[in-house]
Amino acid sequence: MAEKFDHLEEHLEKFVENIRQLGIIVSDFQPSSQAGLNQKLNFIVTGLQDIDKCRQQLHDITVPLEVFEYIDQGRNPQLYTKECLERALAKNEQVKGKIDTMKKFKSLLIQELSKVFPEDMAKYRSIRGEDHPPS
Amino acid sequence: MENFSALFGAQADPPPPPTALGFGPGKPPPPPPPPPGGGPGTAPPPSTATAPPGADKSAAGCGPFYLMRELPGSTELTGSTNLITHYNLEHSYNKFCGKKVKEKLSNFLPDLPGMIDLPGSHDNSSLRSLIEKPPILGGSFNPITGTMLAGFRLHTGPLPEQCRLMHIQPPKKKNKHKHKQSRTQDPVPPETPSDSDHKKKKKKKEEDPERKRKKKEKKKKKNRHSPDHPGVGSSQASSSSSLR
Repeated sequence: MAEKFDHLEEHLEKFVENIRQLGIIVSDFQPSSQAGLNQKLNFIVTGLQDIDKCRQQLHDITVPLEVFEYIDQGRNPQLYTKECLERALAKNEQVKGKIDTMKKFKSLLIQELSKVFPEDMAKYRSIRGEDHPPS
Repeated sequence: MENFSALFGAQADPPPPPTALGFGPGKPPPPPPPPPGGGPGTAPPPSTATAPPGADKSAAGCGPFYLMRELPGSTELTGSTNLITHYNLEHSYNKFCGKKVKEKLSNFLPDLPGMIDLPGSHDNSSLRSLIEKPPILGGSFNPITGTMLAGFRLHTGPLPEQCRLMHIQPPKKKNKHKHKQSRTQDPVPPETPSDSDHKKKKKKKEEDPERKRKKKEKKKKKNRHSPDHPGVGSSQASSSSSLR
């Protein structure tokens, strides 16, 4: 799994470096640097080919669109991961709270119903396989 | 005393077993229509239909509790378990939430040239625009041949200022930050050379007139007493710093 990304990362880094060097050549162009420029242009084409080849290995990777928004705003995409994890934990805690409350409610309800309908609740417990009301 | 059976109006006429009700596992049967006289409701009409495959087993022969469903299994994964630990994400959680993640994109991609912290909408480089307006793609990437390269013959000389976007780097605050942090977080110990120098200078300035006086006194004493009898003037010179 990680190898796929390493491969892509390597190609992207090479590509970025080529672009940077191309930028340097272009920013103060000299007639002697035409050959270098031509070479760099073809490096970019091969770089794009390499990146395009990586696409086949990564077709099963899905990226949440929200990450793109973070990147477009010049923000660290790790903040998205962080917020996702925090949200997940908060939601997890909320749901746990609800489940615990419902469990408490159930035990209280059974307790109170056992007082009012002892026979029926005994039947209920026997069906449920609970000999004693859950605490 | 009333019981459930009475409440459901099924005391006299116990409801048929749920296997004959013919409702699915997730849907309760439609409530029986209220009797016109307001008396006890009638039990749902028994049907000959066989139970669906998912019908509740525990409901069979459960007397008045014909609406009862099977409890969810304890093995089922719910929100009552810590899902982050369940999926072994504690490491990721501690990594991202334990320490402060730096805000800027350049902190994530420090080696990427150019001003990447600016919003993509500024220079039309947003990733969203790639999705909204995907580029027109050809079949493949072909190398640029000799005749095509003729189009890339450039004028000599430097680029105009406004076009030099590649060389603008986001200000690297790494070193500055470190200094600032060390200054703000760790109170500088008094032993550091800069501070101690300042203090020394201040002390020097403050003590200068006193020292001058003391030096003058020393000189006077030296002149008075010969070097052969240094202990004579010890009582007088005890206050001087030279003997301390």
